[in-house]
Amino acid sequence: MKDAVVITVPSHPKYLSMVRSATVNMGKLYGMEDPVTEDIKLAVDEACSNVIKHAYRGDTSKKIVIKYKIMQNGLAVIIEDSGIKANLKSIKGRDLDDVRPGGLGIHFIKRVFDVFKFDEKKKEGNRLILIKYREKE
Amino acid sequence: MNIEVSDYNGKKIIILSGEVDMYSSPLLREKLLDLIKRKVPTLIVDFKGVSYIDSSGIATFVEGLKGMKSYGGRLRFFGLHQGIMEIFSFSKLDRVFEIYGNIDDAINS
Repeated sequence: MKDAVVITVPSHPKYLSMVRSATVNMGKLYGMEDPVTEDIKLAVDEACSNVIKHAYRGDTSKKIVIKYKIMQNGLAVIIEDSGIKANLKSIKGRDLDDVRPGGLGIHFIKRVFDVFKFDEKKKEGNRLILIKYREKE
Repeated sequence: MNIEVSDYNGKKIIILSGEVDMYSSPLLREKLLDLIKRKVPTLIVDFKGVSYIDSSGIATFVEGLKGMKSYGGRLRFFGLHQGIMEIFSFSKLDRVFEIYGNIDDAINS
């Protein structure tokens, strides 16, 4: 089985709720447990928030494309933008013991997804690939 | 997200409900910083109606806590649902914020 759904939303924070709804629905179709779906919802929201903040520097007139792929061994979420290239060296969350505002989003993404990588073949903008593997029964 | 500020037994309470995300957290920040500017001694946040919070919402509260600590104020939470509590625990912020199970404990502690 290989199903895919693609949604495109404007790069405005008011559309993040739509991304969350779509993510929850995909989680249900995939048959994921509710707590895991909630973690994935938060992670995808954080990834899209990062696109608005960093790739588009707050420009709300751009687009974010989110592709959900249900695979035999897992769920992939691929997030594309046409903004500023992510600086891979600067992408790291803050030390969780260093209490200050910000720096948590990346932790929320990495705590649930098994794969977090940028597609280096994409010439302009970013393509973030997130994969959650199915737990072996 | 909906936000109401009320008084309860002489303490200020923020009653928060809905989803706190990058879109709604600037309004929360505005309300919170307004209370901090007035040096409210104890501020209690009712989380019972909060179904979702992201890193921008958490960052807003971390900023608020730092602001309140600067004058000896106290920021207390109660009524966090399990999923939201887990986010605070994962972020190690359950050790930083004063989190209570109900309003009476939040007020009387």
